Amino acid sequence: MAKTQVDDINRSIYNIKNEDNYSFKMKKGLDESIVRQISKMKNEPKWMLECRLKGLEMFNKLDMPTWGPDLSCLNMDDISTYVRPKSNLNSSWNDVPEEIKNTFDLLGIPEAEKKSLAGVGAQYDSEVVYHSLQEDLLKKGVIYTDFETAVREHEEIVKEYFMKCVPAEDHKFVALHYAVWSGGSFVYVPKGVDVEIPLQSYFRLNSPESGQFEHTLIIVDEGANLHFIEGCSAPKYNKVNLHAGCVELFVKENARLRYSTIENWSKNMLNLNTKKVMVEKNGVIEWVTGSFGSRISMLYPMSILKGENAKMEYTGISFAGEGQNLDTGLKVVHGAKNTASVVSSKSISKSGGIATFRSNVIVAPEADGSKSNISCESLMLDDWSVSDTIPVSNIQTDDVEFSHEAKIGKISDEAIFYLMSRGLSEEEAKAMIVRGFASPISKELPVEYAAEMNNLINLELEGAIG
Amino acid sequence: MDNLLEIKNLHVSAGEKEILKGLNLKIYKGEVHVIMGPNGAGKSTLANVILNNPEYTRTSGDVFFEGDNINDLRTDERAKKGIFMSFQSPEEIPGISVQNFIKSAKVAVDGKPVRIFEYKKKLEQTMSDLNMNKEYSSRDLNVGFSGGEKKKNEILQMLMLEPKLAILDETDSGLDVDAIKTVSKGINMYHNNNNGVLIITHGTKILENLKVDYVHILVDGQIIKTSDGNLAKEIEKNGYESYKEVK
Amino acid sequence: MKKMVVLNETPRRTSKSFGINNIKIENFELPELKDFSNVNIETEVNIENTVHEFKPKFSIGEVLVNQIKDQANKKLYINIDKDIKKPIVIDFELDETQNTLVDNIVIRAEEGKKGTIILKYRTKNDDVQAFHNGVCNVKAKANADIKVIILNLLNQKSENYYSMNNKLEENANLEYVIADFGGSKTVTNYYSSLIGNTSNNTVNTMYLGKEQQLLDLNYIAEVYGKKANIDIEVYGALKDNAIKHFKGTIDFKTGCKKAVGNENEYCMLLSKKAKSKALPMLLCSEDDVQGNHSNSAGKIDEDKLYYIMTRGISKKEAQKLIVKAKFNNILNKIEDETLKNELIEIIDRKLDY
Repeated sequence: MAKTQVDDINRSIYNIKNEDNYSFKMKKGLDESIVRQISKMKNEPKWMLECRLKGLEMFNKLDMPTWGPDLSCLNMDDISTYVRPKSNLNSSWNDVPEEIKNTFDLLGIPEAEKKSLAGVGAQYDSEVVYHSLQEDLLKKGVIYTDFETAVREHEEIVKEYFMKCVPAEDHKFVALHYAVWSGGSFVYVPKGVDVEIPLQSYFRLNSPESGQFEHTLIIVDEGANLHFIEGCSAPKYNKVNLHAGCVELFVKENARLRYSTIENWSKNMLNLNTKKVMVEKNGVIEWVTGSFGSRISMLYPMSILKGENAKMEYTGISFAGEGQNLDTGLKVVHGAKNTASVVSSKSISKSGGIATFRSNVIVAPEADGSKSNISCESLMLDDWSVSDTIPVSNIQTDDVEFSHEAKIGKISDEAIFYLMSRGLSEEEAKAMIVRGFASPISKELPVEYAAEMNNLINLELEGAIG
Repeated sequence: MDNLLEIKNLHVSAGEKEILKGLNLKIYKGEVHVIMGPNGAGKSTLANVILNNPEYTRTSGDVFFEGDNINDLRTDERAKKGIFMSFQSPEEIPGISVQNFIKSAKVAVDGKPVRIFEYKKKLEQTMSDLNMNKEYSSRDLNVGFSGGEKKKNEILQMLMLEPKLAILDETDSGLDVDAIKTVSKGINMYHNNNNGVLIITHGTKILENLKVDYVHILVDGQIIKTSDGNLAKEIEKNGYESYKEVK
Repeated sequence: MKKMVVLNETPRRTSKSFGINNIKIENFELPELKDFSNVNIETEVNIENTVHEFKPKFSIGEVLVNQIKDQANKKLYINIDKDIKKPIVIDFELDETQNTLVDNIVIRAEEGKKGTIILKYRTKNDDVQAFHNGVCNVKAKANADIKVIILNLLNQKSENYYSMNNKLEENANLEYVIADFGGSKTVTNYYSSLIGNTSNNTVNTMYLGKEQQLLDLNYIAEVYGKKANIDIEVYGALKDNAIKHFKGTIDFKTGCKKAVGNENEYCMLLSKKAKSKALPMLLCSEDDVQGNHSNSAGKIDEDKLYYIMTRGISKKEAQKLIVKAKFNNILNKIEDETLKNELIEIIDRKLDY
């Protein structure tokens, strides 16, 4: 049977479309009146409107990137920026409309809930429709809410941190994000609180030509600990879809945050997301990232290690299949003494897919005693795919240990022969090797809590064997 | 009737170079065969070509297994028929544990699911018979194993998969005396009247505790002498020089 | 007229803010050119003074390429049509009167021919303000075996722009040994096209930066041939306020089955204010290859320094010893003992405070 050796993820079960059943849709394009309208509808305070207008100003001012994947397929006039679902916020699962529930069912959200997840914030189009948080977390003072509620009910703290990590000037798409953001999550973990169970959030796009611009703001206060999981999946549509979310993270002294992402946008998505963290003294940020979907991704989580002994770990994998151009990687700034970064990145490309790894490591003059270790491994599954590694380092002090290494290659014939000599077919042998290659990331994911992510990885592997 | 492996006038080349030049060999159930020969004679090529390593090309001749011509079978199909090879330098496969790997292989060759409990028990028992530390079962396949550990892991796979014919390609090379004893022990545990063993070796240490039926001398791509177990001792004493001259 | 020029563009762009896509030279001005005759040539083969125009695929920059094309004041065409026993040595010395050199060198190695070419660029003393813009083109025909040693020994006041363009045919072997020591600005562009199957290109570079020196190295190898091999090893040390940018690209093209590419850069930082940027790219559109790269930067291992100092050697001397030890593999590729010792002397002098 001429089945491809390692199949694409079987996306069919994610490609369920609900009827386009929105209550309100913005007129196409983007001008100031749209931005004002969004703000007005959300009953936002004035400062938030000002943030939006600042975003709009920068969006109109900034150029498209002069590097990376070709984005000429993107026409902003085609993208209505804001789609409001019929149901408003629900506090109980029973109140969620049946149709939306069905989609979530298929995504496994209720299953995850049954497994006593700490909280589920699922974004349906642009508004959060379902949200829950376990009571013991409430007692500990943890705030976990959708972003609109946060602006309303925790205005002071949101105002203090919003736009402080990622400025609107960063690039064109984050500027766009600030102009039209809608939905997202807000988490505050008070001093010394250890959130033992991972907090989970699902994002999903479900309307043709709608962009998704959710904002995530997480503050892990001194000595606190949090694991946040972000999973994305979208039904398939023919027209170009744009995702320009923004994640702002603050890790305070002695705090620790693990931010895990499994991204499985459907293959028409342009995923131009921005993620950044500020890490204070002795703080730790851990990025765990799996990029499987989207047509084009540009995603480079950035870590600013601004306090002494701050640490960053990055474990990531991307899988670029047919028609995909996944441009991923990271940036890190060592801005204080004895900061450390450890990066392990893997990529797989097949069926003409393009996987590019980019990194930029900056060691500032004041970052004496810092260490940075980057390792990249790329697996090519055929000779018409592409795998590029583009790592930049910028070392501005002598008291540093910096090293980078990268490897590119295919699965060795010898390894396939070895496995086949034990009775495995060539397809099984290759799949097993790919699974092994990806295992450092799957080990990092709490799959027992994340039903959809578990699904994704299993589908990938079963698709390979089945 | 109990013919296990039969090789007829086999010619094999690697790239441009012909390595096996008309080799004949018959192995019946219950037998232990040994192939000895100088470096470059084609010993490992023989083992690899029986499993259809794509690096080698069979240019003419036939390989039969249990009376069926297996010339056109893929490597995995041959393994499923019951042929096993212990590799000279086993591949390292990161991310796949020994335990899961052997289980997948077992399912593949048996064509039915394994009973997890029985499987685990047998794996543990076999590992202990081979003086292998239990923690190796959860380590990545051959990754970071010493030479000796890799070879023991090959014998472990042989014992778990229970093939009809086991080909041991220089499994003893580079091992210390104790490890060789363990390997011999493993072969004895495996061998019975219903299966066959083909040992490719340079030394005779591995043969000490085994009942060897035939020793073949392979020089320049052909078997030029076949005799009983005593031939191995003679070779160890006198080397291959006299046989090279014969040719 | 003084203007800003942009040189050494990388084959793939990164974000502008990373500051490594190219090097911008402010207040750049092409000098008036005079005749250049301060060159000493030792050779067994006939060297002609005309060359054909060259069209590099990745060039150092248009303004410099055009200067060479239109105004070169030294053109040398070396045809290696027989095996050469003694290396060809071409020794350029720039002084107060002849302080501008624009040289265009073409080396054509015929099938199966062997030879070594040494190109030396020196300034007569530390005060000469020299300008050097040169190119070395090597065409290695099938089975040719060529070694090129390029020594940039200009003083700290000079500007040095240098290009190397190479084409390797079937089974050709081309070895480069490069010492980039001199120049207030040194911009080096290296391009190799490994067209031939089983062609082999090795590049061993050592660089040294001190004071306000700026080094921008842009190495690009495109691999087309099956079983072709490219090895790029770059070792360097920076002291004072020196700045180095290393950009290395190995590009495996579809069809270069079983090709192997290795790229390794190692930068020793001998001062707090020295700065090192690196971008070692691996581009790959063929699966059946092995590509590896690594780069590292940091100061000299304290334990090593301490060990040497316990033997009674001063810290400064110990540092020099370790830097030279790192360069040793590359130095050993220079067979000529006199030349090697000359280089060691220069390294010692450059590392003196």
